[in-house]
Parts: sequence; C-alpha cells; structure tokens
Amino acid sequence: MGDIILTMKDIDKSFPGVHALDHVDLEVRKGEVLALMGENGAGKSTLMKVLTGIYKKDSGTITYEGKEIEFKNTREAQDAGIVIVHQELNMLGHLTVAQNLFIGREFKKGIKIDDKKMNEEAKKLFDRLHVDINPKEKMSNLTVGKQQMCEIAKAVSFDAKVIIFDEPSAALTESEIEEMFKIIRDLREKDIAMVYISHRMDEIKVITDRVTVMRDGTYVGTLITKDSTKEDIINMMVGRVIYEEPKTESAVPEDAPVVLKVEHLNAGKMVQDVSFELHKGEILGFSGLMGAGRTETARALFGADPKESGDIYINGEKVTINNPQDAVRCGIGYLSEDRKRYGIVVQKSVAENTTMASMKDFMSGIFINKKKEKEVSEQYVEALATKTPDVDQLVVNLSGGNQQKVVIAKWLTRDCEILIFDEPTRGIDVGAKNEIYKLMNKLVAEGKSIIMISSEMTEILRMSDRVVVMCEGKKTGELDISEAKQETIMNLATREIE
Amino acid sequence: MTKNKKFLGLKGREAMVLGINIAMIILFSVLSPTFRSYPTVISVLDISYYITLMALGVTFPLITGGVDLSIGTGLVSYALIGGYLVVHKGMPVGVGLLACVLMGILIGILNGVLVAIMDLPPFLATLCTCMITRGLGPALCGGMGISWPSAMSDQGAFRSLFKLTTADGTIVPIGIVSVIILVIIMSFVLDHTRVGRYIIAIGSNKEATRLAGVNVKFYHMMAYVICGLFAGLAGVAYAAYVATIYPGSGAGFELDAIGGAIVGGVSTSGGVGTILGTFFGVFVICLMKVGLPFIGLQANWQQIFTGIVLIAAVLIDLVKKKK
Amino acid sequence: MEKIKQHPLVKKVGFNRIVLIVLLILMYLAFGLMTGGSFFTASRIMNTLNYVYFLGFLSLGVTFVIATGGIDFSIGPVMFCCSLVSGYALVTYGVPMAASLVMSILIGVAFGVFNGYLVAYWKVPPFIVSMASMNIAKGIAAVFTKTQSVSWPQSNAEGGWFRNVISMNGFPVGLVIFGGVAIICAVILNKTKWGRYILCLGSNKEAVRLSGVNIKKWEMLAYIICGILVGIASIFFVATYTTVQPGYGDQYNNEAIAGCVMGGTSMAGGLASISGTVIGVIIISLLQQGILALGFTKDYQYIITGLIVIAAVYSDVSARRRRN
Repeated sequence: MGDIILTMKDIDKSFPGVHALDHVDLEVRKGEVLALMGENGAGKSTLMKVLTGIYKKDSGTITYEGKEIEFKNTREAQDAGIVIVHQELNMLGHLTVAQNLFIGREFKKGIKIDDKKMNEEAKKLFDRLHVDINPKEKMSNLTVGKQQMCEIAKAVSFDAKVIIFDEPSAALTESEIEEMFKIIRDLREKDIAMVYISHRMDEIKVITDRVTVMRDGTYVGTLITKDSTKEDIINMMVGRVIYEEPKTESAVPEDAPVVLKVEHLNAGKMVQDVSFELHKGEILGFSGLMGAGRTETARALFGADPKESGDIYINGEKVTINNPQDAVRCGIGYLSEDRKRYGIVVQKSVAENTTMASMKDFMSGIFINKKKEKEVSEQYVEALATKTPDVDQLVVNLSGGNQQKVVIAKWLTRDCEILIFDEPTRGIDVGAKNEIYKLMNKLVAEGKSIIMISSEMTEILRMSDRVVVMCEGKKTGELDISEAKQETIMNLATREIE
Repeated sequence: MTKNKKFLGLKGREAMVLGINIAMIILFSVLSPTFRSYPTVISVLDISYYITLMALGVTFPLITGGVDLSIGTGLVSYALIGGYLVVHKGMPVGVGLLACVLMGILIGILNGVLVAIMDLPPFLATLCTCMITRGLGPALCGGMGISWPSAMSDQGAFRSLFKLTTADGTIVPIGIVSVIILVIIMSFVLDHTRVGRYIIAIGSNKEATRLAGVNVKFYHMMAYVICGLFAGLAGVAYAAYVATIYPGSGAGFELDAIGGAIVGGVSTSGGVGTILGTFFGVFVICLMKVGLPFIGLQANWQQIFTGIVLIAAVLIDLVKKKK
Repeated sequence: MEKIKQHPLVKKVGFNRIVLIVLLILMYLAFGLMTGGSFFTASRIMNTLNYVYFLGFLSLGVTFVIATGGIDFSIGPVMFCCSLVSGYALVTYGVPMAASLVMSILIGVAFGVFNGYLVAYWKVPPFIVSMASMNIAKGIAAVFTKTQSVSWPQSNAEGGWFRNVISMNGFPVGLVIFGGVAIICAVILNKTKWGRYILCLGSNKEAVRLSGVNIKKWEMLAYIICGILVGIASIFFVATYTTVQPGYGDQYNNEAIAGCVMGGTSMAGGLASISGTVIGVIIISLLQQGILALGFTKDYQYIITGLIVIAAVYSDVSARRRRN
C-alpha cells in the first residue's frame, strides 16, 4: 500500500430536510482498493458526488495529491484524474465501442475523425486490460457486463489516478465479475487508487484492502479487510442504536385468513419464482438490498409491468391481473417508492388526487360531485392528519410525508384491502416517519393487510409481522419477526459467491 | 449481432429499401407498359432532386430526435426571394441562387436557436418557422408568382445543372450526378466528422453526450443549420425544376422528405439513420408520385399512401424496439 | 405588481387572463386608430366574429389534445377535408343538406378516432400522426373531389338555410352556438370525469395509470373531442367562405394552436383553460382583421402568428423551468 493520494476531511452536506453527510472523513491510498460500505441511504453515493463535483459541499476539505481542491463538475475531476464508473451506464447505444470510449476527444485526421486510430487505441487499451471486446461492435449489442468493462476502460484511458466503482457488479454475471476483478488487481499493480462501493460482502473480502463503513451520513470506522470477518463489518453497518423497540412477536393471530397468495411469480431477471402469502391484518416486510427485485415483484404483482408467469389468489380465489386496472379492481393499492413519478399528480389538488382511483363514486350524473369530493378529501385530511391549508392546495406544495398521506388517502378512498407500501418513508423526515408508522399500524388494526418493501433495517424490524428476504430476484428466506435479527436478515440478503 | 448484417456492402435496412424500389419499378412496369420509358425515368428524377435535397438535410434533425417542418414552405420561399432578385431587381442568376441558399441557412440558424438554445419542442418551433417562411416569401416579393429564367434564355444555364438538353434534343438528367456527390459528402459528414458523430450521440443520449464534455447546444444547432442549408439547395433545385414558383405553396413538401427519410430507416426517436437509407427512401416516395397515375390512380393517392407509409414505418420501428 | 397579483379579484379571474383582455382591448383601439375608425364598423366586427367561429372551434378542439400533452396539427387540412368531401357529396351526388352537415362532423370524428388510436394505443408520436393524417386528409379530399374546388350553396339557394348557423335575420346565432360550445367544453374539462382524467394524464400519465385508470381510453377521447370540434369548425368555415379548395388548410393549424397556447394552455400538458383559448382566438382573429384592414397581405399575418406562438411557447417552457 502506497502513500495517501486523497483525503476528504469533515465533509458536511445537507439537503432540505435531510442531513446527508455529517462531518465524514475518507482517506484513499495509492495502489489500494478501498471498500466503501453502508446500508442504502448511508451517504456513500453522496460522498462520491461531492468528491467529483456533482454536488457542492457545505463545509470540509478535500486534499488530492497534496493540494486542496474543489471540482466544479465531473469534467474537471476527470481531467485531474478522478473518474467514476457509474452504476447506470452513460453509454451511447447507437455508437460503436471505440466511438464511445473517445466521445468528446476523438482523434482527427484533418476534418475526418480517425476511426481507424480510435479502434487501434481501443484495441490496445483492451489488450492492456486483457479484455476481449471488438472496438467496432455497436455498444447496444454488448452484454451489460461488457459495457461495464468499457466504462472501466474509459476511466483508465483518462490516465485516472483514482477510480470510483459505484456498485459495479450489480448487473454482472459471476464470470464477468471475475474478469473485472482481474482488471482491478492489474490496476492495483499500476499504483492506481480505487474506491469500491458494493453491498456484496464476499466481493469485499476478495478484492478490497481496507473497508470504510458509513451509517446514516456519518463515518463509522475503517478496518483492514484481511484482519476482519464478515460479521465485524455487518456489525459496523447495522450497529446503530435502535430508538424504537423492534417487534418481538407477530401481532397477527395464527388463524388469520390468507388474503393474498402469490405462487411462482416470474418477471424477467429481477423476479424469479417468487411465492408468498399475506394474512389479514398483517404487515409483511420485504427486505433486501438495492436491486434485489422487491420493487419489481410488487410492480409485476400489481400489473404495472408485464409478468411471464405466476398465479395470484385473492381470498382463495384465483384472479387475473394484467394491468393496474385489474389490480385495483381486486382491491390492491400500490404506493410507489417514487411518489412524484408514480404516486401523485403534483400539479393537481389534494382533492383531485384523493379521488383519482375512485372517480366512479364521485359522480352525480355526468358531473363530478365536487361537494362530496371535498367532504371525503377533508375527512381523510383529518383522519390522516395531513398538513395542508385546504384540499384545493396543489400537492406539489406539500412536504414528502404529507404527499405520502395523500397517496394513502387515494387508496383508502378506493377501499383497498391490500396495500403495497414501497419504501413508505423514503425522503420523509423523522417526525413524519413516526406518523406514517402509526398510520400503518392503525390500518392493519382495522383489518387491512400491508406488504411493506423497505431497505431500512430498523423499519423492517419495527413494523413487520413476518419478513420475506430477497436477493438477486429470488426469495432467499422467510422469517417470523420473533426469529428475525438484523444479522440473519443481512446474511440472507447478501450473496455468497462461492 | 444480426443487426450488422450486410448485403452487397449495404446495411440491412438500406438493402431492404432498395429492394422495395426495385419491386415497385417491376410492379409498375408489369401493370403499365408505358411506364417503361425514358421520359418516366426523367420525370422521376426531375421531382427527386428537391425532395432528395430536403431529405438529406432533414435527416440530421431527425437523427437528433427532432424534426424540421419548415423545409417545405421554406424552400419555396427561398426560391421566390432569389427569383425576385433576379427577375425584378436585375441581379445575376448567381446572386439569386446564393440568396436562396443563404436564406435557407438563416432560417436553419433560427430553428437551431429555437430548439437547441431556447429548448422549444422541435415540431412546434419549426411549425412556427414554417408559417413564418410561408409569409416571408410573398411579403418580401409582393405576392406574385416568379418565373426564373427559362432554359432557353441567356440566363437559363443554371437549369442545366439538373437537366441538360443536348444539341440533338436528348435530355440528360445530369442533376443526379450532383445529388449523388452530395449524398457521398453528407454520408462522410454523418459518419466521419465530429458534427455527424455528435449529432448521432445527441439523438442517442443527450445527457450522456453533455457529460462527456461535448458542446451539445452547438452541435444540436448544427443539425438544424445543415437542414437549412439543404432546404436552400432544394430551393435551387425547385427553381430549376418548375417554370413558375407560386407564393404560399410548399406546404406538405416536407412530408415527402421526412417520409422518405423515415422509410429509409431514420428513427423518430433519434440516434439511428443513414444518408444512403434516406436517399433510397426518397425514391420510394418519388416512384409512388410518378408511378400511381400509370396504374390508373390519380396523383393524389400518393399523399394518402405517403401518410400510411409514414405511420407504418414508425410502427415497424416501435415494434422492433419492444423486442 | 405582486400586490396586484395577490388581489382576490385578480386571483379569481386569473392574472394571465386579465393581461390578455387588456391586450385585446389595446389591440382593438390601436387598430381602430391606425385605420381611422373603419375598424369600428359593424361589418368589420362581423368579419372578425366569422373568423372567431371556425378558428375558435379548431382551437377549442386542439386545447383538449394539448391538455393530454399531445399535439395535433392536422386540424386545418382535416377541416378542409370535411368541407370538401361532404360539400362534393352535396353538390355532385345531391345528398341532402342536413346529411352533409352530419357527414362533415362524422369525417372529423373519424380522423379523431384515427389519430387518437395511433397515439394512445399504438404509441406513435403525436407529431408523426399529425403529419400523416394531414397528408391523408389532403389526399382523400383531392381524390374525392378530383382536385376541384367545392362551393357550398348561397343563402337563397336550396339548402342555403345552413348559413343560419352564423346569423339569422341579423340575430348572431353563431355567437350563441360558439358561446354554448365553449361553455360545454369548459364544463367537460372542469366538471366531468373526462376532463379530470384528460388533465391528470397530461400532467402525469404513469401516476394515473397506476391508479387503475384506463389511460388509453381517455387519451383517445381527447382526440375524438378534437375531431368533433373540427367537424363543427368546417361547417362554420363554409358558411362564411362558401368555397373550399383542396390542398390547403395548413395555415389554420398554427392560428388555432396560437389561440390555445396564448390562452395559457401548457404545451407540456395538464394545464388548460377554455376561457383563455376563447380570448386567445379573439386576439388572433382581431390581428388577422387588423392586418388586412391596414392594407397588408395575409402573409404578414402568418409571420406574426408564428412569432406569437414562439413567444407563448417560450414563456411556457421557461415558466416550467423556473418551477422545477
């Protein structure tokens, strides 16, 4: 391990309502692979975005090669030698591999772009990295794994001194991961510093030298990888003080009827043979890491995305759900993780959003019964304690927590018996979180049934009666809350390579 | 990797459209013996010049994922203004032709500013410039029809750029040579220069292109400037083709060009398209225009067919993408 | 300025609408002064109203389409197609007047269904559909009429009663019909499920779909409403101008869209105002009359309308950018 190349000290960054980074430190050395770990929302990506100039830090210093620096944009960071390999690929599918590698800095011969030279240079680059990719191939024809290799090659071609990998293995097959590791080892030999963000414990053990752990926007500590165990790292990641007591036993009576049964649901790579049951009055937690296929399962179940196969039974009766209309008719309501895109119509009023799914009940003849609409919306504003001056307020002006309540009101107005909460408290501040939790408890007490997808361990442990754990599109476990511990869930949710 | 299949050096789509052309020629020839004649060849080529030039230009905005609806009324208006200078102001033909092309570039820059810099939706922005150009020609030239000097007159030499009549009265469609040269040049621009490369990149993923440090606004604008330039050249071809240019006409010409480009494999969602494909695509439209009367359908059927073909071509694209 | 905007009365009527009305009055006075009073004559006002009618119906129609976030610039040629085909049937085949009028509207509806189906169910981009149906409309009209212009009967001829849609014995029937239709449109847009869904899906299609709403149906409906109104527009067009020529009609697309976006309907969808559209259409019509009265050709009107739309759309685009 070499000298320190990059130091981030006391980095602080707030967004409205969220303290994303709370005086975080990070140190990277030449020729090492530093793992950056933490649960979803721990602040890893934000920290890297601050480093590469996508976000501006509020305070703190960044020292790179002995000088204090602050980049205005990724381009500046790139020129200085700090490059991110993104999780979502920034590729131009209609261009060839070589054209992608050198976009914005093509070789030229007069006015002609020298594609021949670009192909040769790309070939050389790939040879150096021992990757077998044809530079003349169209980018969109490559597998995701190969595209990822191209992104890495592009980073290398910038003469990068620091390369940041943001969950590079998320979409790769095992042999592709092996191939990528070969490249990473190679780069380490060449004294390049690398930051490796990943959830996969086994990869961390195999490829990294040190592990820095973050939690809730703070720096927790750094370990030497080879001297620590998987359990050490998991403990650091989840070791927070839990303010709310987790549930110790299920609140659902044993003989509660099954309201929803899903059998062998398949939808693409992200949903493979998922089966589960939901009982009346139960909160069924869906745990797993980002990209485990939980949202995809919910969307396939709700008919938002097409499914390949699988049977769905509601109250023991087999139903066909091909689109959201069918699902709503069956009494299922879906509260998306991305409220602004999929949940609410922000430019419309609270009342209009509340009655969106149940227009039929608000018609007198051909006209909308605005009086009734107002009454019902006001009822729900009161029942859910939504903070809004009146029901004619545009939803765009409400806070995240209150927007969530409007979506809940929409499904309650429709009388949905089964509610799917996808990350119910994402982007919602702490006070409002508790209200949402109370509300969910009240709903199940009234006999509704809830599927709750959550990436927050405390939320899962506090709210669920049972927990389904998913990993890589497959269900890897189902636990009663009495036997669910953070460590057991984390073990089921992290993938074993061997 | 079936997408890269080639046939006689042509990409799949180009070969297919060429095939459609050949099939149409055979069909028309079988149904109507009079179709197989030299004058038919001349009339197909005659109408192909200005449409091809428009189509070569509009391929660029289409590849960025936009469109330019102003080319049809534009080219008529440019030809009017150029002709006005020659006929009523006594300027040399060369100046008139130059004015025609410059006007095209000017409107191209305007479109580019509206779309690339002011961020207006392309179809609306160019719909407006379509109206503006439509009014501009007659407003500047007093609303009369303009006849550029005829081929017989002293100044009529420019018409021989496209159609050369030899001493013994044989007509040589010489324009096709210039058009083919332009096709080769624009193929080069699209495939081998930065302008072309970045225009494809913008159509493919504008944000990623910007992140790569490309001056996206400039190159996005260039697509419309190129389109304007070619609308100006199409104005020249149109002036050479028709006897008299009537103000207020030209609406709908753009559809022949856009339709040709899309039939030739340019995708409306951007990023995909070749100049050669556009070139072949235009001939499908031109053959329809000339050929339909030979099999007893009046020329206006072509309009209906072009509309249907346009939608069919887009639908084929959409279905392909779903897979 | 902010104070004026916050005034309850201003808020109720809408600041933009007040600006438009003031603009309208100023324009009227300005044209009046420039033309030395001839602008205030009854015949000029009648001419303006005649223009308002057919353009108004087109503009109301396209308001629904733009509310969904789509666009339709085939409306002008489709209007001509309605007039030409039904007029040709009337004149050449002796179809009764009433049937011809119904036929006009049905042709409009047919195009609405065609456009709506392609956009909503087959996801063809609206501007492609517009271009295609513009061509198809022109083609059908030309093929059907064998490229001949069609003249609808004069008021004293048989079937001339249809001109009563504009005025009967000096009573402005047209104004009543146009006002009535505008009110119906406003009711549909603001008081019924149709309008609710059209506006909501224009604002956020995916959220409405995930609420279990059949968005395809409602999106298509907007195009059908547009088709009906285009059909009605065609009747008022021939009642005013009598003769229709195949191959034209494009010029009215832009004017109709101009009226609509000036009135505050957002090109991004989700936001539409019928009263705004009506005022916008009156402004455009006044502009048209004013330009003619000042002795300019209609070419200047094309240019000015083009510039107006650019300005209106740009202000819409930059307002949206500020909001985000």
